[in-house]
This record gives sequence, C-alpha cells and structure tokens, in this order.
Amino acid sequence: MNSIWAVAKNTIKQALRMKIAVVFIILLLALLPVLGVSTTGDETIKGRLQTFISYGLSLTSFLLCLLTIAISIYTVTNDIKEKQIFTIITKPIRRFEFLTGKLLGVILLDMLLLVIFSIIIYSIAVYMPKFYQVNSVELAQAKTEFFTARAALVIPQQDFTEQARERFNKLKAEDALPENMSPAEVIREINNQMQVLSRAADIGDGIEWEFENVKPLADSIFIRFKYEVLQETPDSRIYSRWVVGDPHSVRTGEPGKTPVFVQDYRHTTETFHEIEIPSEVIPESGKLAVVFYNYPSNDTVVMFPKDGMEVLFKADNFTMNFIRSVILILSRLVFLTCLGILTSTFLSFPVAILLCLVLFVTASFSGFVLESFDFLSRNVGILYTYTLKWIVQILPEFDKYNPTKFLVPARLLSWSFVGQCILFMVCIKSFLLLVLAFLIFTYREIAKIVV
Amino acid sequence: MDYAVETFSLTKIFSDWWGRAKVYAVDDLNLQIRTNEVFGLLGPNGSGKTTTIKMLLGLLHPTKGKCLMLGGDGSDPKINARIGFLPEESYLYRYLNARETLDFYGRLFKLPAKVRKMRIEALLDMVGLKAVANRSVGTYSKGMARRIGLAQALINDPELLILDEPTTGLDPIGTRQIKDLIIKLAQRGKTILLCSHLLADVEDVCDRIAILYGGKIQTQGQVRDLLQQTNKRQITTDVISDATVEKIKKLIHAENAEFEITSPMDRLESFFIRTVETAQRQAQSTSGAVSTTKISDFLEKDAKVESILDKLVSSPVVEESPEKVITTEKVEAGKSDIPEPNKQLLSELTGSKATSRIDKTPKEELTEKVEAGEANQEEKINRDILNRLVSSPESQEKKERQAGGDGDE
Ligand SMILES: Nc1ncnc2c1ncn2[C@@H]1O[C@H](COP(=O)(O)OP(=O)(O)OP(=O)(O)O)[C@@H](O)[C@H]1O
Ligand SMILES: [Mg+2]
Repeated sequence: MNSIWAVAKNTIKQALRMKIAVVFIILLLALLPVLGVSTTGDETIKGRLQTFISYGLSLTSFLLCLLTIAISIYTVTNDIKEKQIFTIITKPIRRFEFLTGKLLGVILLDMLLLVIFSIIIYSIAVYMPKFYQVNSVELAQAKTEFFTARAALVIPQQDFTEQARERFNKLKAEDALPENMSPAEVIREINNQMQVLSRAADIGDGIEWEFENVKPLADSIFIRFKYEVLQETPDSRIYSRWVVGDPHSVRTGEPGKTPVFVQDYRHTTETFHEIEIPSEVIPESGKLAVVFYNYPSNDTVVMFPKDGMEVLFKADNFTMNFIRSVILILSRLVFLTCLGILTSTFLSFPVAILLCLVLFVTASFSGFVLESFDFLSRNVGILYTYTLKWIVQILPEFDKYNPTKFLVPARLLSWSFVGQCILFMVCIKSFLLLVLAFLIFTYREIAKIVV
Repeated sequence: MDYAVETFSLTKIFSDWWGRAKVYAVDDLNLQIRTNEVFGLLGPNGSGKTTTIKMLLGLLHPTKGKCLMLGGDGSDPKINARIGFLPEESYLYRYLNARETLDFYGRLFKLPAKVRKMRIEALLDMVGLKAVANRSVGTYSKGMARRIGLAQALINDPELLILDEPTTGLDPIGTRQIKDLIIKLAQRGKTILLCSHLLADVEDVCDRIAILYGGKIQTQGQVRDLLQQTNKRQITTDVISDATVEKIKKLIHAENAEFEITSPMDRLESFFIRTVETAQRQAQSTSGAVSTTKISDFLEKDAKVESILDKLVSSPVVEESPEKVITTEKVEAGKSDIPEPNKQLLSELTGSKATSRIDKTPKEELTEKVEAGEANQEEKINRDILNRLVSSPESQEKKERQAGGDGDE
C-alpha cells in the first residue's frame, strides 16, 4: 500500500507539473463565473439557472474528461519514454501495483478538481437569484421548478403490436401492402403510427391519461409537457383546457371528496411547459386523471412526443440531486482513467490520446451512434455486427448517464440510477479495462524500443 | 556453489519491425557471479552489457536461455527488495528534489518512515548533495544526477548491487568514493555487478571480470591472474643517494636484467583530490555537489549484525552520527570555515599517508581476499602493473622508461 501510495502521490505531482492541467484549471476557474453572469436562458431566473447548470456542468465535465485522458496517458507513457520506470519496477513493486498507483493518483486528482468545480458551480447557482434580485414570483418558480428534485410519472407505453398485426393481416388480405418492406417492418411502422395516434388530440377533441401511485411530498405537483402540431397556428400557440383530479369526478363531472382542477391556457408549441397543480386534487387512492382538451380554434391536431407528457412531484432536494450528478461525472472520469491507462500500456502518447478521444466521443453519443449503426447495418451486415457494434456496446453510455438531463428539468436522479451507472461504468467496464491493462503491462517488455 | 547471479545461455536478439533478426545483443551468455564477489562486466560500446542487466532485472525478456538473481527471478518483488540498481543514465523525475526523490524510492521499498528518513539524510550526506537537496533534480548537473541515482540504488542496503557505468559523469572524488564504497560493501559480504568500460574503475575494485564483445564472453577470470606480469619486478624506495643507486645498478647488472630509474609521478587522481580539498579548506562556495569520500554509516555496518534495520531504528538519528550533523550544517552555511571532521577526512585522503590509504588499502584487502598470505613485495609489483594500465597510453610509454614506476609512496 505504501508503494502504491507513493506512486499515486508522485502521479499527482507529475500531473500538476503538466502545463495543460494548469491551463484547464485556470480556464474553468475563469469561465464558470463568466457563464454565471452571461447566461440568460429565457430571461427568467429559472431559465438562467437552467442554462448555467447545463453549460457549467457540461463544460466542467468535458474539460475534466479531456484532462483525465491526457493525464492518465501522459503519466504512464512518459515514465516509459523517459525511463523512470526502469528504477521503479525494479523495486519491490509489482507492475499492477504501479498501474494502480497511477490510477489512484489520477482519480484522486479528478476528485479534488471535481469537488472544487462542483462547489463553485453549486455556489454560483444558489447565489444567482440573489445576484439578480429577482421578484418573488420568479423566485418561487425557481424554487419549485429548479431547486428541487422531482420524480416523474410518465405515460405508460401502450403496446399496439396485436392491433398492428391485425391491421397487417387486413392489408394483406386487401393486397394493399406497401412494396419494398418486409412484414416485420410493416408491422413496426403500423405500431409506430398507432403509438403516435394514441398521443394525439384531434381538433376539438381531448386525451385522457390516468396515473397511479401519485404521492405528493409537497404542496404542488406539476404537469410537464410539450406540444407538437400538424399545422402551425398563426401565433404558434395552442389554446387548451387542462383538467386534473379524481378519475371518477373528471369523467362523470360528479363532485368527489377532492376538488377538480380546471384551467384554460395558451402555450407555445415545441417547447416544454409546466403547469403547477395543488396537491389537494389528488384523491386518497393515488389515482389521478389528467385531461387535455384541444380547442377547435387551434385548427390543428396536437400531439405529445414520446416523453412529452409527465406528472412530476417533489421527491428530494436540489443539493442531493446535485451531489448524485457529480457522482455520475466521477464515474465517467474513472472509466476514462482506466481507458487511458489501458491504451498507454501498449501505445505511445499521441496514438493513445487519439484513440481515447475517438472512443470518448463515441461514448458521448453512444445512443446516436448505435442507432445510426443499426440503420447502416441493413446494408453492412455481419461485419459490422461483430466488430464495431461490439466495441460501441462495450463503451459506457455517457449520454444516458448525463447529469444535466436531470438537473435542468429538476428531475430526481435516483440512487438506484446512480448505482446502476457505477455498476456498469465502474465496476464492470472500467474493471475489465484495468484487468486487461494489468495483463498487457505485466507481460510487456518495458525496455523494448520500438522505432 | 552459491551464485548471486547466474545466467544460462542467455541470448537476446533484437528484431526489427518485421520480425527479422537484426541484432545479436547478447549471445549465449553463461555468467556465474559468486556471492560476495565484485564482478566487472567489461566491453566496448554496444557489446551487450546493458542488455544483459536489463534481462537480469526483467526489463527485457531473453530470446533464449534464462537468468537467476539471488536464486530467483529478477521481476519478483521479494528479490527486488534485496537488489540495488543504478541504470546507465539517471532517469529521475525532474520536478522532485533530491530528498523527495529518495523518499519516493524509500517508499517503494516500504521502508518504515524512521529508517527512511535516517537513510535519506545519511545518503544525501554521503553523495554530497545535502546542501542542494531542496533543489529540483531537473536542475542538477549530470554528475549530481548520477549521485542521486547512486543514493537511490543504496537506499535499501542491497545485497546485490548492479551498477551500470556508475562513474560516468562523476568527478574523480565521486569516482574514488564509489570505488571505496564498492570495496566497503564487498567487505560486508555484498555482491556487486559492475558494468563499465573504464578500466581504471574496474581494475581497482573487481575480483573477477568478464570481457564481452558482440554479446559473447571473450575472456573471464580473476583480475590478478589476467593482469599480472610474472616476468617483472618493481622496487619503490624513499629518496636515496646516488651512490646507493649505483650499488643497486650493479646488483641488477649482476643478474643480467634490464631496469630504469625515475622519480615516481603523482597520480592525477590524487592531485585532483588535493586541489579540490584545498579549495574546500578555503571555504569557496559551490552550488554543486560537495564531494567527500565518506560512506554512510548504515552501509558500513558489519554484515554480521543481525538486523541493521533494527539497530538503525533503535538509535536516534543525531546520536547515530553526530559528526555528520555538524558537517552538514557547516556545508550548508557554505562560507563558514571548514568543519573539523571534514578536514580530517580530506587530509587523510590527500596527505602522504592518505594517498597510500587510497591506493593501497583497498588493493591490499582485495589481494588478501583473493589469495591469503601473498608476499608483500609481489603485491607491490602487481599494483604497479595495474597503475600502468590505468594511465593513458602516451604517459604509459614514458613511465615504462622510468625505473621507479608511478607508485605514490
Ligand atoms: N531496444 C533495442 N532494440 C534494438 N537494438 C538494441 C536495443 N537495445 C540495445 N540494442 C542493441 O544491442 C546492442 C547492445 O547494446 P547495449 O546497450 O547492451 O550495449 P552496452 O554494452 O551497454 O554499450 P554501452 O557501453 O554503449 O553502454 C547494441 O548493438 C544495441 O544497438
Ligand atoms: Mg550500456
């Protein structure tokens, strides 16, 4: 342990001596406060906060990722190149202990930097409402829609496969099947259309959703939604009526034990909006009906995208959510450290950096990359399935575990989600990389010169 | 027979990028280095000395054959804990200072904090870098870096010390010190593998040597046996009258032998040490290494002491070496007058008596070890030959004309 610690400590010193570490740190220290002042969002304090958190955290995470890649690769390849390693691994330290020391050093440094920058971001965010001296309305909005952590109930995904198959059979009987499409594709297409239809309200018509297990911890719950329209309205707004309450009362109009919330609104399309609803409308059963009514004057069909409608309620506070976000970023850094160390056990500095950056970018857009590969694969076939896809799947999904996705809409980032991230990204994927690095490094000829 | 280092037809072939054999760096090498032996591995540049060492230490994998160190594998931490290694060049972390560097290596050996601290100070003192110990190693001159490298190799009080060209870049005092150190360590039962092409270093300290060429051993054997010229005799005297010289001449003529007579030349080494000593006595300041020929206490401890570690830990640092502490303070002060102990040491080194100590004592010990009960006269002759070999070719011719040789008494 003593020797691992010695290597770790030395690694930190080495990293701090590296110019780019200092440049990055200064850059961040300068940029974060500037971001805090310059971000405007939609001019409300909530908008400012959202933009700041989104940019600030993304920037910090991005720069720290780059820094981690650079440091972890530099610290190993440089020791090999400058041959300090000759006098280290001939001491009673095993090669995997040497790598562990390097890993520990980089991760400790990452933790230190991450804590510092998180504290700065957190402080700026908390201080921002005071700085702008906002009025109480905006402040209240920021409190309930930003400085909180809300759990969400989403519309349960309906499965239309049965209906789609029936429709397919009918089309087949009528010989009206489209050409160039396999049966599976046709069914998928029909299914998709039915999904969209189920989330659409015709002109002068409405949609009703029913949610279960609604347990408010605070005075209000929120409905968060986004409109999509078939035909743009003149002022890009939708006139609507929202009705929320006990399902029975809502459907029959009979008054129940709890009041029913009814309100007309005008909301712009294509952006997310939130409606605050007092918790008293929720009946004891925890069942809640939500109805959207599309006024005829809109003269268009209104649709809700896949994740465009949910019921939110407070489940935790902002601070805890923020801490969990930072843990997500840390797991990402741990993975990148392991990746950097693995590549530097067999590649030189520039090559290792290049490879790591490519993998980092791929992991950052893994969802998109996988999707587009899937699309491609129809043409490319097995070659792709057994090579690229495999590599992409081995990479962690940085985009899935992106903390700003949670902090901006003040969504609850649950411990179980964080645990899942740690399990996959750190315990499995990072560990695999590390074991591979240990193996390669143990059997490598350290003094071999490759020209 | 117990060998400290043993290789069995060790071979290293470097191949190029395409896997074609390019260089036979080490070729079917069979070395046996006995425990408690000072072994010199000689050879011209590129003869495979460094490659052999790298294979011993597990930094390179042999293409064929195998090697053992202290009866084990060179990459086994248990074996590594008993080995000191000074690589061909000093590969140090430029941003650490001397003390931090040694502390780092001490930690790699898992030395307890107290022992580590004590040894670091002792070693810094020994290699003369105490006064500059807080400067980063990157700013050191080549020789200063070399000294830190040496200190690093000694921090675990190794049983087997592998030195790859330890004296490159070192000033003569440093060189002298390394030689003394090697002899001291050998007396304590340590084994030393010394790689060099500086013959002067090797012949002064080594019991046995092997000469490599093209990765193959060309000759191997005891230094004495290889170098002794059994057909020559050498006599060195104090100043004597011409009349006596004439008498001796006659005696020698009677035996029909050739001879020459000169005044002995001082060796440049002793001259250099004396000059530096004078400068130090005048307390001129230096920001380089402060050379002494002192050797750290912990390295000089009798090998019979069961656990040197225990002894070191049990006695407080100051008590352990009061002399050393005073020295350090004075040295750091730079311009203050020279400390007593230091002066003694240096004058011992350079004075007429001291000169003999430098050249004679080690040799005597060596000879004794090699062959007990050797006649005094023979030993002197032997040393003369050694000295001749050390000096450069031009001066050697000159010396050969001079009867008295270049003895230093
Ligand atoms: N990594 C390597 N790749 C290819 N050839 C090498 C490599 N290392 C050493 N060699 C070659 O092996 C031979 C022996 O080199 P080595 O460094 O052992 O010599 P040396 O005896 O230590 O020489 P010197 O006195 O200059 O230090 C040389 O011809 C050298 O070019
Ligand atoms: Mg060499």
